[in-house]
Amino acid sequence: MAFLEVKNIKKSFGKTLVLKDISFTLEKGEVLAIIGSSGSGKTTLLRCINFLETPQKGVISVNGSVLFDDADSSKKKDAEIRKNRLHFGMVFQQFNLFPQYTVFENLILAPKLLAKEKIEQNGEFLGAKSYKEAVESIKTYAEQLLENVGLSEKRDEYPCNLSGGQQQRVAIARALALKPDILCFDEPTSALDPELTGEVLNVIKSLKSSESTMIVVTHEISFARDVADKIIFMADGVIEEEGTPQQVIENPQSPRTQAFLSRFNQYSD
Amino acid sequence: MDQYWSVTQQLLAGFGENCLLFGVTLLFALPLGLLISLGSMSRFKPLKAVCRVFVWIIRGTPLMLQLFVVYYIPPLLSDGSFKFSDRMTAAMIAFIINYAAYFSEIYRGGIEAIPRGQYEAGYVLGMTKSQIFFKVVLLQVVKRIIPPMSNEIITLVKDTSLARVIAVGEILKNAEQFTKQGLIWPIFYTGAFFLLFCGVLTLLFRFIERKLDYYKG
Ligand SMILES: Nc1ncnc2c1ncn2[C@@H]1O[C@H](COP(=O)(O)OP(=O)(O)OP(=O)(O)O)[C@@H](O)[C@H]1O
Ligand SMILES: [Mg+2]
Repeated sequence: MAFLEVKNIKKSFGKTLVLKDISFTLEKGEVLAIIGSSGSGKTTLLRCINFLETPQKGVISVNGSVLFDDADSSKKKDAEIRKNRLHFGMVFQQFNLFPQYTVFENLILAPKLLAKEKIEQNGEFLGAKSYKEAVESIKTYAEQLLENVGLSEKRDEYPCNLSGGQQQRVAIARALALKPDILCFDEPTSALDPELTGEVLNVIKSLKSSESTMIVVTHEISFARDVADKIIFMADGVIEEEGTPQQVIENPQSPRTQAFLSRFNQYSD
Repeated sequence: MDQYWSVTQQLLAGFGENCLLFGVTLLFALPLGLLISLGSMSRFKPLKAVCRVFVWIIRGTPLMLQLFVVYYIPPLLSDGSFKFSDRMTAAMIAFIINYAAYFSEIYRGGIEAIPRGQYEAGYVLGMTKSQIFFKVVLLQVVKRIIPPMSNEIITLVKDTSLARVIAVGEILKNAEQFTKQGLIWPIFYTGAFFLLFCGVLTLLFRFIERKLDYYKG
């Protein structure tokens, strides 16, 4: 059984069917890039995976445990949805940092709240036995993440004083602070000036390891080719083509994939 | 000089009533306004409709008319068996209702101005709805509503003199009494009291705004 299994996802808004029948799998440590034209449903798919939208049909499971199943008719409690969300991290196109908190506070806010709750419930959080101990390790980890994204010296700045690229790197570190199983990116560089996309893409590239599993929705085709283990091309709410970068980008079989990619190749090289 | 002091004393006594009305109105209208704003954003349609119609009626009619309604309608409806023993109580009720409606719109504007991405960022970080409200959204709302709130609260200071239409002994009513003795200047003198009070409030709000100025967005 694959690490992430997404089966037969259907999602419609009112009468418009946005995701028609999406299934794919991902192994631990793999990077999946999702490409496709505007309106094809990429964002909606990521939002379903993060439980920001509820699909009408389908099954989502991580590491063998089923997180979502439309057949399971009992309405999920908020607490359960929250628990399921923690398997995933999400980096948004618009960063969505909390403006009133410093960079460092943005990183530690959610982990601290979670630690408090877990310690009250189970007397334990990721090995820490007391809240104080947990906060110490949360802080240490946050410092380390800031270093990884190259922003240690911005620790005490407010987001409004950072460039877009820096804000997005903070958002990545914030998502990592909860140690998600799978980190999702929705067009992480689309809101950035072209000269700032490189620094964010490099950070994402540097995260690639046997431990971190990632799904990246992107319009940066060459980045997808370099970093992804697997590429999905979406069109009109279906997976039109999927495979390795060699298969999908170098040798696309479907005419729609070919048409989509040729529009990109016109401008690159 | 003696005259000046006795006028000042009279006006101060009147202004005490204005301050009382001001304080009580704030105390009740601020939380009530929040409830109304939550109602008017509710997904439960009937509640939302009731709140919106309420706000429309209150904002669409003069406060002076509302003062008359609160003071005169209950005795009329009860054939005189109910009457406000204290005119101030009637004034307070009218002011609280009126200002709660205005405040609710300010709250609603502030809450609706928070981008959805702030909530979603909280959700994907595993936060609960109440954690998101108190830890993420609330301060941003407060920062946004301080300018319109300070405007409205300063208007309230001056509006309290409207209570004289149901004969509450507020400052302007007291000042008017002096005209019978041929003294006009006490009426203009009242302006100093309002200016001073509003000046202090302005400084207070500017202080709060500065406090929240450490971040943008
Ligand atoms: N909340 C919603 N209500 C109604 N329709 C929606 C909603 N969210 C998305 N849609 C529709 O679903 C379709 C797919 O949208 P989605 O944002 O998933 O596309 P996308 O592939 O991410 O596009 P882009 O590349 O522009 O980001 C669009 O036609 C959009 O109008
Ligand atoms: Mg999108």
